[in-house]
Amino acid sequence: MSIFKRKKEADFSYMARESLLYKIVRYVFLVFASLFVIIPLIPLIFMAFKTGAEYSSTSVLEAPKSFLNFYNFKYALDVGKLGKAFLNTAIILTISLAIQVTLTAMVAYVLGRFEFMGKKIVKTLFTLTMFIPIVATQTLVFRMMYAVKLINTMWSVVLLYSGVGIVGIYIMLNQLESISREIDEAALIDGAGYFRTFVTIVFPLMKPACTTLIIINGIGLYNDFYIPNLYLNRDVQTFTVALYKFFGSMATPFEIVAAAIIIGMIPIMIVFIFLQKYIYNGLAGSVKM
Amino acid sequence: MKSKSRSLFIILFLALPLIHLIIFSYVPIIGNFVLSFTNWKGFGEIEFIGIRNYRKLFTNPEYISMFKNCFWYFLAAIPQLIFAFFLAVIVNGKFKGLNIFKGILIIPYLLNGVIISTIFIIFFNGEGTLNTILGSIGLDALQHKWLQDLELVNPAVASISIWRYYGMNFIMFFGALQSIPTELYEAATLDGCTKMQEIRYISIPSIKKVLFINILLSVSGSIQVFEIPYIMLNGSNGTGTPVIMIQQSMSENRVGFAAALSVMVFVIVLIVVGLQKLLVKED
Repeated sequence: MSIFKRKKEADFSYMARESLLYKIVRYVFLVFASLFVIIPLIPLIFMAFKTGAEYSSTSVLEAPKSFLNFYNFKYALDVGKLGKAFLNTAIILTISLAIQVTLTAMVAYVLGRFEFMGKKIVKTLFTLTMFIPIVATQTLVFRMMYAVKLINTMWSVVLLYSGVGIVGIYIMLNQLESISREIDEAALIDGAGYFRTFVTIVFPLMKPACTTLIIINGIGLYNDFYIPNLYLNRDVQTFTVALYKFFGSMATPFEIVAAAIIIGMIPIMIVFIFLQKYIYNGLAGSVKM
Repeated sequence: MKSKSRSLFIILFLALPLIHLIIFSYVPIIGNFVLSFTNWKGFGEIEFIGIRNYRKLFTNPEYISMFKNCFWYFLAAIPQLIFAFFLAVIVNGKFKGLNIFKGILIIPYLLNGVIISTIFIIFFNGEGTLNTILGSIGLDALQHKWLQDLELVNPAVASISIWRYYGMNFIMFFGALQSIPTELYEAATLDGCTKMQEIRYISIPSIKKVLFINILLSVSGSIQVFEIPYIMLNGSNGTGTPVIMIQQSMSENRVGFAAALSVMVFVIVLIVVGLQKLLVKED
């Protein structure tokens, strides 16, 4: 154990020696930063456990009498139709992420392994979309969706979410570079064909990049509000839209809204606790383009 | 035979994403440009009205103020990036509690616009978190009705984007710092560099590219602000932004005008990107 520990410490010996002052400054700064994050969240957590009377009579920074008062949570789940909305979000996410990841891997494979006419144009087309704000396209896309009667169906959102983004392509290309060309060339020589080589050999090897993409885009899509609010604000709602409607109706007491918000935070926090490493690596990796 | 199946394969694999791209990105951008010179309602006949939509945009003070509001979000991006950068520098090392801090610091990045809006309504309310804290430390004079005061509402709402987005900048900076080759640090240590010199001469120059990407994201993001002012205040109290206006014009069937606004947003983003490219090349 002690050997192991010493080895760990040695890992960072190359960095400039940190003075005591620097160490103190670091902790002070980090505590300050953590308070900056946590302080706005505290009243929300308190509020979710307060009764209506308690909410109107106490200060926002006063702890509730009991942290076992789950009435608000029950009420939010019963009235807010949050369960159904959550299911909708889950369906939309599963379908669109599956399509998106598959298509992105396909594009990356073609761009990474083949030379062909027009390759530059294809790359440029994908890169330029990074600079097209999605809101600047919705005036017309909304009309298209209206024309094909997809508004108020999940398919409108799934369709929009299924596009291939340049960041995803780069994450996949990075991964592809680390896979030896000889592996897929050998398969081709064995007569496996391009399609089979991709499906049975290359795609499985790209799993880590797929995971990264699913997590990063999954968080983004789970939290997206603009698109679902535009296309799904009636019978079929996503979780963010349902939360918004719940929060926007004046009839809902604020302590109930707070409980609903906490419920909304739970799934993403669970995902986060298990996948923190991937979030850090994935977002960082997307920079190294 | 081989080359034929090869071409077929390439076309097959690229077809769907490219069609998606053209239909949902390029056609609307070009279409918007055309429609911005009309008064189309989204149905019925299309009548060309010249530059009337744009003249409205540039002369009506209400619309001009919406573009001005974006400036507050741009200003908020400055402390946001500085904060994120120093956080990344400080976290880049090994010390007790590192993972706990990393966990806490990423929370805002994981929350959606509705959740963040609710949190900050509580925060900025008359008897909300901020005023309660100010009162308890004897700074009653600084208490305000943050969301009702027309002078304060935009800076207040814009400051929320610091809390919301610094996490993303932080992770990107952190990733860039982690990818600096260890030899650089070793050499610096041998030369007797202090921590401050190390930051000044190794960390900052090494992440220049990432810094530029983050500035770009912040600036183009501040033109596209929508969620927080829309959810918190529905764009009232003078917190409207161009995208909120696009949304409203669309729901009022003023598609031509919404198209003109969209073109403006697009052009501003393009200018920002262009400036950025120029600046980076000069380096």
